[in-house]
Amino acid sequence: MSKSDVILKIYTILLLGIIYVPIGVLIVFSFNNSRNRAVFTGFTLENYYRLLADERVWSSFYNSIWVAIVVTIASVFFAILLSYAVTRYDFKGKDILDMLLLIPIIIPEIVEALTLLLFFIIIGIPLSPWTIIIGHIAFDISFAYLVIKARMAGYDPQYEEAARTLGADELKTFFRVTLPILLPGIIAASLIAFVESYDDFIKSYFTRPGGFSTLPVHIWSMASRRGVTVDLNALATIVVIIAIFFAYIRIKMERWM
Amino acid sequence: MDDGYDWLVSYLILRPLFLSIGDLLMSRLEEERKPFHIKILDRIRASKLLKIIVLLAPASIFLAIFFFSPFIIALMYSFNMFKQVVYTYVFVPRISLEYYIRLLDFPGIFVTMQRSFYYAIVTVILTLLLSYPAAYYIGFKLDPKYKSTAVLLFIIPFWVNFLLRTYSMKFVLHDEGLVNTLLMTLGLIKEPIRFLGTDLAVIIVMAYDYMFLMFLPLYGVLEKLDKELLEAAATLGASPYKTFLKVTLPLSSPGIIAGSLLVFIPAVGEFIIPMLVGGVNTTTLGTLIYSFFITVRGEAGWGIGSAAGLIYIIFIMVLSYLYIKLVGAEVQFG
Repeated sequence: MSKSDVILKIYTILLLGIIYVPIGVLIVFSFNNSRNRAVFTGFTLENYYRLLADERVWSSFYNSIWVAIVVTIASVFFAILLSYAVTRYDFKGKDILDMLLLIPIIIPEIVEALTLLLFFIIIGIPLSPWTIIIGHIAFDISFAYLVIKARMAGYDPQYEEAARTLGADELKTFFRVTLPILLPGIIAASLIAFVESYDDFIKSYFTRPGGFSTLPVHIWSMASRRGVTVDLNALATIVVIIAIFFAYIRIKMERWM
Repeated sequence: MDDGYDWLVSYLILRPLFLSIGDLLMSRLEEERKPFHIKILDRIRASKLLKIIVLLAPASIFLAIFFFSPFIIALMYSFNMFKQVVYTYVFVPRISLEYYIRLLDFPGIFVTMQRSFYYAIVTVILTLLLSYPAAYYIGFKLDPKYKSTAVLLFIIPFWVNFLLRTYSMKFVLHDEGLVNTLLMTLGLIKEPIRFLGTDLAVIIVMAYDYMFLMFLPLYGVLEKLDKELLEAAATLGASPYKTFLKVTLPLSSPGIIAGSLLVFIPAVGEFIIPMLVGGVNTTTLGTLIYSFFITVRGEAGWGIGSAAGLIYIIFIMVLSYLYIKLVGAEVQFG
């Protein structure tokens, strides 16, 4: 190993360490027994007890989960239909459709959220949990589509042709052959769609009705206070552990695919 | 005698005709007996065009209503085509550039735009400088056995919720946070450095939050780099420094372009980071649009906000289009 390689290695290890520092500090201080933000004075679970007794945390967590489930089911359903059409049929404007479906991912979410809010106001649709769900589906279709299309384009259509030759009609072929083969892709897409919705802050924040909050909206209301609040650290720790759990499943999924 | 069998002869000749008419009638009857939804399914099965329409319609209609039409509404609003009547809005057939003019007249608009670009460009340079050596080491030098683990270690922190990542940086950069405590313990500074509320904090946090968007495409190209090319350059007498400048760097330029745009696009309109760790003097395009819609409110606020948002979107779309043209359509989303 040359000298420059050693320097590169040390640099890489340092960088890998440093990117964990902020989250690590957050977690360590969630166990701090004083409200001191600078010095760790002693271990306690007090912050966690206080957090778990907070009803707003539970209700926003519950809201995040059910909103994300509805969003996931709807957007994956839309995405399956779209990717089936795009990978199995030839039609005019296919490339344009492909490009259009990238737009929800590219566009800055703040503009997307505010124009959607303006739309609801002009049309006269009152804000409700369903307006959040609509906003999330609009970008989740694209994420789910990218994953499912990749899976659908990646396998041999001969399986479908074989089923067709053996006398199954198209609908039966789809349910008996296409769908089972697609399953890993559908699960991966569902996971991504779920996390994108569950993690979303900007769209939820602007299209929510008063008094309704999802977990990220609740986190924002705690994080945007002046200075820093130790109360948030316990919540952050739990959310980080959930995120790493999801990341782990996602990796397993990729191996499986 | 002949007359007696005439009907039989004609029957035998015409029999196929009768039968086919009968078949037709029977199938008609059966068709009638089929439930309505089966009939529709049969129709769809028979026509390819109908199939495609049925497959595309749900998502297209949804996106047309809830994704694309809000932008059309915003476009119309920015040209002053809606008028508020008590609590409802009515369409007025007029086009006025009032809101665009007021946007350009808005005090501090150019400073804000300048600042947004400054933040985004510095963030791009910072993330590039920080992640290139690591991407080079992991992608090119590291034993292939450990590659995927190293990449994973790099990405995991970025799977944590964006708000929390940003908040964790706020915790670190605070007056009594880790950085200041460390520097003061080491005796390098006597007074804590005031990070929060400054440009520096916004840039540091943006670089931290967006580093993985630069790292992934860089890793992608550097991982595929051909070792033999570098060896050839060395054999021909090029110094390692020169080899890097003349061979490695040009070959990794698609990754650099991709990473730069992936970081630049969200960074130029960043909204959350300036709100959380910035202050009065860190207004960006994102926070400006937000303040038009939420703080100024009313017809004027929404009008000017829509105008600003649309200009911003068009700018992003042009950049993304150039990106797809330059790097190819294979966009990687972590």
